[in-house]
Amino acid sequence: MTSVSINNQFDTAEDIKKKTAKPLLWIAIVSIVMLFGGWTSAVIVSKGSSPRWFSFDLPFAFTISTLIIVASSLIFHYGLFSIRKGNSNVLKLASIITLVLGVMFIVSQYYGWKDLYSNGIFATGSKSTSASSFIYLVTVFHVLHLLAGIISVLVVAIKSLKEKYNQENTLGVELSIIYWHFLGGLWIYLFLFLKYVA
Amino acid sequence: MSTHHHHEQDFLFKYIFSTDHKMISKQFLITGFIMGFIGMIMSTLFRLQLGWPGESFWIVDKLLGSWAENGVMAPDKYLALVTMHGTIMVFFLLTAGLSGTFSNLLIPLQIGARDMASGFLNMLSYWFFFVSSVIMLISLGVEGGAASAGWTIYPPLSALPQAIPGSGLGMTLWLISMAIFIISSLLGSLNYVVTILNLRTKGMTMTRMPLTVWAFLFTALIGIVSFPVLLSAAILLIFDRSFGTSFYLSDIFIGGQVLEYSGGSPILFEHLFWFLGHPEVYIVLLPSLGITSEIISTMSRKPIFGYRAMIGSMLAIAFLSTIVWGHHMFVTGMNPFLGAVFTFTTLLIAIPSAVKVFNYLTTLWKGNIKFSPATLFSIGLVSTFISGGLTGLILGDSALDINVHDTYFVVGHFHIVMGLSAVFGMFAGVYHWFPKLFGRMMDNKIGSIHFWITIVCSYGVFFPMHFLGLAGVPRRYYTNSEFPLFENLIDINVVISTFAIVIAFGQLLFLYNFLYSALRGPKAPQNPWDSNSLEWTTPVEHIHGNWPGEIPEVHRWPYDYSKVDESGEFVGGNDFIPQTTPLFQNEKNEKH
Repeated sequence: MTSVSINNQFDTAEDIKKKTAKPLLWIAIVSIVMLFGGWTSAVIVSKGSSPRWFSFDLPFAFTISTLIIVASSLIFHYGLFSIRKGNSNVLKLASIITLVLGVMFIVSQYYGWKDLYSNGIFATGSKSTSASSFIYLVTVFHVLHLLAGIISVLVVAIKSLKEKYNQENTLGVELSIIYWHFLGGLWIYLFLFLKYVA
Repeated sequence: MSTHHHHEQDFLFKYIFSTDHKMISKQFLITGFIMGFIGMIMSTLFRLQLGWPGESFWIVDKLLGSWAENGVMAPDKYLALVTMHGTIMVFFLLTAGLSGTFSNLLIPLQIGARDMASGFLNMLSYWFFFVSSVIMLISLGVEGGAASAGWTIYPPLSALPQAIPGSGLGMTLWLISMAIFIISSLLGSLNYVVTILNLRTKGMTMTRMPLTVWAFLFTALIGIVSFPVLLSAAILLIFDRSFGTSFYLSDIFIGGQVLEYSGGSPILFEHLFWFLGHPEVYIVLLPSLGITSEIISTMSRKPIFGYRAMIGSMLAIAFLSTIVWGHHMFVTGMNPFLGAVFTFTTLLIAIPSAVKVFNYLTTLWKGNIKFSPATLFSIGLVSTFISGGLTGLILGDSALDINVHDTYFVVGHFHIVMGLSAVFGMFAGVYHWFPKLFGRMMDNKIGSIHFWITIVCSYGVFFPMHFLGLAGVPRRYYTNSEFPLFENLIDINVVISTFAIVIAFGQLLFLYNFLYSALRGPKAPQNPWDSNSLEWTTPVEHIHGNWPGEIPEVHRWPYDYSKVDESGEFVGGNDFIPQTTPLFQNEKNEKH
């Protein structure tokens, strides 16, 4: 594309990317935090103002999901350690396992929603209340953000299979890992919030 | 590295899908102005209704068609116009139009960067803005009309599609448009912050940055923190409207029928909305304050007074803006103690605001002031910032606010302190940086006439509104003539509407000046205002990468105006010393 020629005219395109990619991601993460911050504050406001607010036990599947996402973060990070030492094979394996665990997380969430539904906790419709809708809202939007994470891990997996990463070039892996850790942290926050506050 | 213009870019990528910050800046400016003119025409039309209620107007008939049978505006369409006027002015003109234009133009040029951190995200930011503008305009033409619940779109009115005609498809499109707008704003803000923090040229320390850049930095940071919360509110509203959730709804009847919503609270929306809504005031205002700082210092040929205090006060305003949202909600049955807390935090904002005003006035004091249109509008901003800020003290105090809540007092207040200040800052910015945007000069005489018409009529429109508000006239009413209580106030509305019509025509002068100068104006010199900052070291003709060779190095802050040595001579021989000038021998011991 001709339009990005400014960066190509100078040898600094890579430098600019190296300098700015992580801050861009961090600030994007801040805005996602504020999105979920808005919703979890909304839960607190709703809980305080509605006489019909009710609490319920979280489905067991959500606990499984928590374990899965923590495991995936650890494994993915081990992949980064390895590529920094020059071992790309571990990264290949780690990113593929992370990918599988990411999909398993979504499946586990699905079982969680199914469990909620069969217990009469509905997302929408005449039998739903704001208390029951919120849990679906935050968990579904977490999964939507996780889909972006899965795409980024997929890119890392493909690129590592093509041996695109080495000791010097780990930026893509780091970006993906920052976002993946964030998704894990976000889930743990939501899990604890839904369990103890909502 | 003389590789510029090494190939001709095709039209599509040069003018449409450009990733060059200067072109994107112009795209934001022109789209923002088009939206602004549409918003202004709307306000002129509903001022006709308010000044002369029930009278038939040829222009209303022609422009509104089926919205105004026989040239008299329909009541529900009046509400749609008020809603769309607010939405367009606050978000499309003064958020995207203002920040998008000047952050894009000035950040890379003033900090010495080739372009934004990500040109691609920057392009996306503009095109999301464009799409959201188009959707917002389309919503004017759908069945039932545009959104009519006010620019604050409070539920339950906005949450129930069957509530009023304007809560139907128009409201849905409003929400979709705003969701896209928020994404645009976030992409822009991301880029601004990262560019400022990471891509400054050699020597450009944070405390050598012009105050414009500081203002854009704080604006972007507030946007990043508060716009996602509006998105969270909008998503909940979309779910309530379309998917049967009850986040904002509970125990509600419509036309005698019970609706099946349970557990929600409309007050929740107000909390979420105003968590954005109040910082939004400063998203609109801070860029203008930054622009004004720069122009006042340059045009009065004096260093800005209290540079660090300016930064500190902007930081304080940015921080405080996120903890005052409750002052919009004093009448929601809020706990009086909580109200007192919000009153306290709100009144604290007076301190940094007063610091800024003091610094502006002190910078102007005994300056060798050059009265360009930009200077005039900057001083106009200082005036409106004071007069609007003073009524803010009344509205920020819960005990006083409750008496004038939702009256024209509020309308007068926020139009002066936020609307006028921001618009004046934007005009000042356009007049001042027009040579940088288009390589040509605007006409000073027409610009000055434009200023005087604008400021006189602005006060003519908004100052009398305070009297209406103190008399208890509520905002957003279709007509005030139906109430015996307000009968003797109708003349005030005639005065306001007359000024509104004159100011609308006054803007045609600006439009003419802008278009004529962009195409036929005299060619601009490289540094028309003898300014110190880095943007005036670039060639007049826009080139990719901004500087033909190396990016210049910076040696000093941007406000070395009229600097004299011990003998009373100007240091360096001129009354300005560009940032690129290395320190002179006798300056070496000073702090820079």
